[in-house]
Amino acid sequence: MKPMLSTDLNAADTTVEKAKIEVKGLNFYYGQSKALKDINLSLPERSVTAFIGPSGCGKSTLLRVLNRIYELYPKQTAEGQVLLDGKNILDRSQDLNLLRTKIGMVFQKPTPFPMSIYENIAFGVRLYEKISKAEMDNRVESALKRAALWNEVKDKLNASGQSLSGGQQQRLCIARTVAVKPEVILLDEPASALDPLSTAKIEELIDELQADYTIVIVTHNMQQAARVSRQTAFMYLGELVEFDRTEKIFTSPREKRTQDYITGRFG
Amino acid sequence: MSVAMSLHQRRKRKNGVMMALCVIAAGIGLAWLALILGALIYKGLSGVSLAVLTEMTPPPGDAGGLLNAIYGSIVMTIIGIVVGTPIGVLAGTYMAEYGRFSRLTTVVRFINDILLSAPSIIVGLFVYELLVRPMGHFSAIAGAVALSILVIPVVVRTTEDMLNLVPNALREAGTAIGAPRWVVIRSVAYRAALSGIVTGILLAIARISGETAPLLFTALNNQFWSSNLNAPMASLPVTIFQFALSPYEEWQQLAWTGALIITLTVLGLSIFARSLTGRREDR
Amino acid sequence: MSAVSEAVTSSAMRTREATVRRFALTDTIFRTATRLSAILVLVLLGGVAISLFAGSWEALSKFGFSFLTTESWNPVTENFGALAPIYGTIVTSAIAILIAVPIGIGIAVFLTELCPRPLRRPIGIAVELLAGIPSIIYGIWGLFVFAPFLQTKVQPFIINIFHGIPGLSSLFAGPPYGIGLLTSSLILAIMVLPFITSITKDVFDTVPAVLKESAYGIGCTTWEVTRRVTIPYTRVGIMGGVMLGLGRALGETMAVTFVIGNAHRISASLFAPGTTISATIANEFTEADGELYTSSLVALGLILFVITFIILAIARYMLLRIDSRTGA
Repeated sequence: MKPMLSTDLNAADTTVEKAKIEVKGLNFYYGQSKALKDINLSLPERSVTAFIGPSGCGKSTLLRVLNRIYELYPKQTAEGQVLLDGKNILDRSQDLNLLRTKIGMVFQKPTPFPMSIYENIAFGVRLYEKISKAEMDNRVESALKRAALWNEVKDKLNASGQSLSGGQQQRLCIARTVAVKPEVILLDEPASALDPLSTAKIEELIDELQADYTIVIVTHNMQQAARVSRQTAFMYLGELVEFDRTEKIFTSPREKRTQDYITGRFG
Repeated sequence: MSVAMSLHQRRKRKNGVMMALCVIAAGIGLAWLALILGALIYKGLSGVSLAVLTEMTPPPGDAGGLLNAIYGSIVMTIIGIVVGTPIGVLAGTYMAEYGRFSRLTTVVRFINDILLSAPSIIVGLFVYELLVRPMGHFSAIAGAVALSILVIPVVVRTTEDMLNLVPNALREAGTAIGAPRWVVIRSVAYRAALSGIVTGILLAIARISGETAPLLFTALNNQFWSSNLNAPMASLPVTIFQFALSPYEEWQQLAWTGALIITLTVLGLSIFARSLTGRREDR
Repeated sequence: MSAVSEAVTSSAMRTREATVRRFALTDTIFRTATRLSAILVLVLLGGVAISLFAGSWEALSKFGFSFLTTESWNPVTENFGALAPIYGTIVTSAIAILIAVPIGIGIAVFLTELCPRPLRRPIGIAVELLAGIPSIIYGIWGLFVFAPFLQTKVQPFIINIFHGIPGLSSLFAGPPYGIGLLTSSLILAIMVLPFITSITKDVFDTVPAVLKESAYGIGCTTWEVTRRVTIPYTRVGIMGGVMLGLGRALGETMAVTFVIGNAHRISASLFAPGTTISATIANEFTEADGELYTSSLVALGLILFVITFIILAIARYMLLRIDSRTGA
């Protein structure tokens, strides 16, 4: 069944795309309880993949495995393989900080650091790069432009990041992530705490960013998944039920459970 | 019907009496504060003069000031804070960050809470056995060490509490950008918890600047000016203790004035410290 | 042009890896420093226990168990017993708690149920400021203001009232010194009041609003809600607060030293001077000549340490139970 999924995807694709991330036989445990069961899927480069499913289905857990952020907490373990450009990031020798500079993450609630708007962005850049003030100014400006925030904040770069509105804070977090030049961006329900207008802006942004980045978004909002993603994974009770092109998932899903979920019969 | 009414009235009356007692209890609490502060101001203010701040503690029967005692208090408080704060902040950091889920943290928290309320005279005895006896004499250093031992639990407790209030999402965000743990702690967690940690340090200063018992047999006292850390040093609380229990009127007056100075300093510090966190809660 | 390709030139990658190694090293150092500091907290308590034990060894080995049961304290004959200070410590603390608990709970009820909202914070802070006043201030106030007041206005009156009543007449027997066990107890009561109040207030706040609302809903008065809902629900937490206050009272030194009278004897009368463990140490330690005298004083410290450790451990255990229930 699993190989069939990926062949199906490839068959549906007219252009054969390079896989940026491949998940193979992934199991995940919170202590004794198994939260992800034998997950296999491959995420194509420079496109948006959405994880959907009812709460507790493991979609966020799967996302948190991709940059190993789960390792902040004890008793959470992953087994199996997650290949980034063919290299297993679950390997013990993988340096976590280096991994996270390649795979950025934006969270559900906006998380501006307790510092100025400028510093929020420069902070991550400065960690691994020694660059001049002028270069840094450029980096900050281009990151803010990339996140469509520049025009709103260019006159108050020294104001606290926490003084911005919720939607602006979230775009600041996206700018901060983009500024360190990752290859993959993980978005964990990035718009669920925002108003509709800010949500639309974030979605527009995601659409633009996929030209340069491989993007994975977790969302409980099916319309959002349909709007922004190219392929969608439907998860249920820790299993990957179906993974296919987004149109296919939303118009003619193969599995009954997927059908039930997208038509709102549970969830 | 009438039985029910009278039962109802009896309950209401009982409620009235009990609530009145609660108001009286609150009144008693506030009255004590007022009585103590009133007496301090009444007795202490009359002795306030420039000489208090410019002259040394006098021999019995003479006029003088409290300069050497104030100086000693400041010196030992500063050393106590400088020694105790980093240890306290680091230990609190371990408990809230690196060791948040470890067993060691549970044990340290329990022990720290006991140290927090342990009698300060016990700390004095400990430092006596630890430093004074081996060195063979009382010293300002021993006094400062005793004070720093009182600082540590206060700072540990507030640092841990304040870091625990920092949302985990903020730590995850820092980590997700590729920052190692120590950078996340330094640049994100400390920054977010700064006002709370400062409050803890201020409360620690407030606590040790009025402490007497741990200084009695560590720093002892000194009637003269001394800036030698290896020799006995005067402090405001110990001087008050000595002067208040003396039969000399000048000394007793100086004791009251010193008491007023200490109380105003300590209360000022605690009100300032509380106002720092108060703003934080409102936000 | 893409961000990806410009990021990963190989030399940039090499500096990154050097940075990563430096970060890892710093992280190890920082982690170790925090861990050692946390362990130091344990070492401190261990050090206190060991040093007190070592310091009191001479006295304990000479007097043995009788140290705890002997009333006499005679530096001249070098015969020391801890009974009088232990008695004074326990009696003054117990009376202080008996007085402070009802008042403390009363203030907590006032603050949570009766106080107008804008006054709540200022009054709460004012009560907590009582805890911030250094104990030596209570001492000097107790000696010069409170004790004379008791001596001239209160004690003669009480002695007259209970004169001739069996039991009470010896409990409140004269002469009125002003200073003594009861005066110390009253001062201690004021000092522990803020601890009991603030913890009681905190645990009162953990009572779920629905619980109180449903009691009000069936027509309970404020007092009935407090008596039947709030206090039973928070019983363990209040006990924790009381134990914490007791721990404070047992170890309080300076305030008691001023007003207890420093007499090594056990009297039936609460008006009589007495002594406590901490007051004895504070008064006599620097003047103690001879190893045995000093060692006996350290032994007193060890006894105080053991008593307060047990009381505080019970207090913390009780407060932990409340915390885990509310998930705080």
